[in-house]
Amino acid sequence: MAKILGIDLGTTNSAMSVMDGGEPTVLENQEGNRTTPSIVAMSKTNERLSGLLAKRQAVVNPKNTIFSVKRLIGRKFSDVEVQRDSKWLPYEIKESASGGVDVKMGDRWYTPEEISSMILQKLKADAEAKLGEKIDEVVITVPAYFDDSERQATKNAGEIAGFKVRRIINEPTAAAFAYGANKMKNEKIAVYDFGGGTFDISVLEIGYDAESKEQTVEVRATGGDTHLGGDDLDKRVIDYLVSEYKKQEGIDVSKDPLATQRLKEAAERAKHELSTSLETEINIPYITSDATGPKHFLIKLTRAKLEDLVRDLIDRSIELVKEAVTAQAPKGAGMKLEDINEILLVGGQTRMPAIQEAVKNLFGKEPHKGINPDEVVAMGASIQAGILQGDVKDILLLDVTPLSLSIETMGGVATPMIQKNTTMPTAKTQVFSTAADNQTSVEIHIGQGERPMMADNKTLARFILDGIPPSPRGMPQVEVTFDIDANGILSVSAKDKASGKSQSVKIEASTSLNKEEIERLKQEAAAHAAEDEKRRIIIEIKNQAESMIYVSEKGVRDAGEKVPAELKESIEKKIATLKEVKEKDDADAIKNATQDLSAELQKIGEIMYKDNKETPAAGEPKDAGEEQGTQ
Amino acid sequence: MDEEIKKEEEVVIEETELDRCSKEREEYLDGWRRAKADLINFKKEEAGRLAGFLKNGNENIIKDLITVLDSFELGIAATTEVNPEVMKGMILIKNQLEDALRRHGTEKLEVKKGEMFDPARHEAIGEMHSEYPDGSVVEEVEGGYLLYNKVIRASKVRLSKGEINNK
Repeated sequence: MAKILGIDLGTTNSAMSVMDGGEPTVLENQEGNRTTPSIVAMSKTNERLSGLLAKRQAVVNPKNTIFSVKRLIGRKFSDVEVQRDSKWLPYEIKESASGGVDVKMGDRWYTPEEISSMILQKLKADAEAKLGEKIDEVVITVPAYFDDSERQATKNAGEIAGFKVRRIINEPTAAAFAYGANKMKNEKIAVYDFGGGTFDISVLEIGYDAESKEQTVEVRATGGDTHLGGDDLDKRVIDYLVSEYKKQEGIDVSKDPLATQRLKEAAERAKHELSTSLETEINIPYITSDATGPKHFLIKLTRAKLEDLVRDLIDRSIELVKEAVTAQAPKGAGMKLEDINEILLVGGQTRMPAIQEAVKNLFGKEPHKGINPDEVVAMGASIQAGILQGDVKDILLLDVTPLSLSIETMGGVATPMIQKNTTMPTAKTQVFSTAADNQTSVEIHIGQGERPMMADNKTLARFILDGIPPSPRGMPQVEVTFDIDANGILSVSAKDKASGKSQSVKIEASTSLNKEEIERLKQEAAAHAAEDEKRRIIIEIKNQAESMIYVSEKGVRDAGEKVPAELKESIEKKIATLKEVKEKDDADAIKNATQDLSAELQKIGEIMYKDNKETPAAGEPKDAGEEQGTQ
Repeated sequence: MDEEIKKEEEVVIEETELDRCSKEREEYLDGWRRAKADLINFKKEEAGRLAGFLKNGNENIIKDLITVLDSFELGIAATTEVNPEVMKGMILIKNQLEDALRRHGTEKLEVKKGEMFDPARHEAIGEMHSEYPDGSVVEEVEGGYLLYNKVIRASKVRLSKGEINNK
């Protein structure tokens, strides 16, 4: 069955996605990028260009390069918005015969639908090339505030591009789908969408009709500013940098196109960097020159300064959110801020920590931000496409293990065999060994939970495997297998490879914990994460110390008379010290004592090698067997 | 007689039951095969994705290094009155950087004066009058680069507006 494409047809950039193996996957365009500029142009050689190629010639061909056509689609020429936009758009527009808008590109007039269809056509061709199959159907997203005429015009654009438009859905609804809202019941969601050129806020209410078993998504309110976006933030940064440079050097770099270009790229990079670091350096050597020679650009920009530069823009977006949520209908949803259950962040600009913080402070809860905010709408569109196609209907429900399943190893450590969230059925086998010499039995202690120490997790079962032939520690090979079937029944078996003896246990209730119990165990793990980690490190260090003591004692024993008495005494002394500190919980002291002993022990090796050299045995690896024994 | 009818009924029931089981078996077997095939296909796709990632995964770091190379080129171009050996050293360092980029699949885009503007490789940043035909490249302001045949940066060029009419 041919795939249905999901398209986020944006004002500045568009993106596309399909369902692949039950998951939404964003498709790259022909140029290898995941987003495509929503730009179309008629080049000077009368060639029609779309996307990045159209953008690359925009500077020299502004009259025939059409961008932001989404601001015009389905609108009347007399609209206040259209009138306002006509003042700054560099291309020509006029009133069409039906009162709509016509756009001039090259020597022809086009409807905004036709222009949009050219962007959709490019996406269609690129998707077909990428997938190697024909694509005829599409789901396209539009802003929640689009009226019937704007929706119809968008649908027409799809049809002109050669698609059968299966559905036009709201951008915030698509974003909510990408975050799993298609499985939600009765939730109120605020979608904060700070794009490149527009800011939208939408309040959605997800309902569930028990009788028809159908989910309903109602747009309770929309708001925003069609002329507030990430580009405004970039402009603020560039203006600041230009003015700072003018102050420092007395040169206005904004007049030089290459300098402006380099500055723009550096400013964008700095803005991105300040999302993760607190300070960045904008370093552009040889940006320009004057009578005295070349000039360089070097300015430090802090996150605080950046936030200061754009604070009023963020504040404005927050005011708009407040209004959309709390104002009475029709201006807003007439809700209280605390009524909102989930907040979703959409649009690349929401990566900025100050925006995330402002949204969090307003609602008093953490917004969702796990999915790439540039791609979330396209992904949601493809999920809607998948629902239409019947892809998003788990025919075979495969469960996951809610918590990790572990086995207890040396020092009481819980060693995970099957990590949490592993899809079942699954099995894992690992070989373990003994911790002491001549150990003839091992206890298999099976537990469930996320804490690193077994004592803190829930014990599921214990059994003993005996009959292991006596041998040095580390030698026996006990193969342990954890196997969970599709019903969540866990079988654990342990087998001694030497004797062939085995033991097993079946645990029926490995996944039957109730939701509260799982949550409690997870929360406990999170709450104790730091101290648990400390304990785990101490145990690891103690285990290393124990191994070192074992190796040293064995080394001294095996080397016998070859070791001078003084060295033997010194090693034994250090072993005693390590044994003593090992009993306490001072990680550094144990580490130091282990290192001391290790250094001392190396002297045995040196002596043995020296001896070997003195009695040449034609390079025979005589000690190979011994070395293996100490592993 | 009754006995026979009863037996026949039982046979019919058993056959329906057998049909149901056979159908179910087919469904399960098909599901299992599909799941196995999905996994095999996923592994293949994943291997392809990984290969692509290894090839293009360093695109960002290469883009950053190209910016350094730009500054280097500007620096060399602006340097005058310097010991020739020092200058030679600078050029050798620049070559070193270019070689390193080349080894990782990066290639500089060739731009010739007078060639026609091609948005697949060029980005126009301005126009000027020149002896070259209208719409052709007059000057490369910043070099463009390919990474394994993908344009990772178009070369920034100034285009010709043709000769000044009154000239």
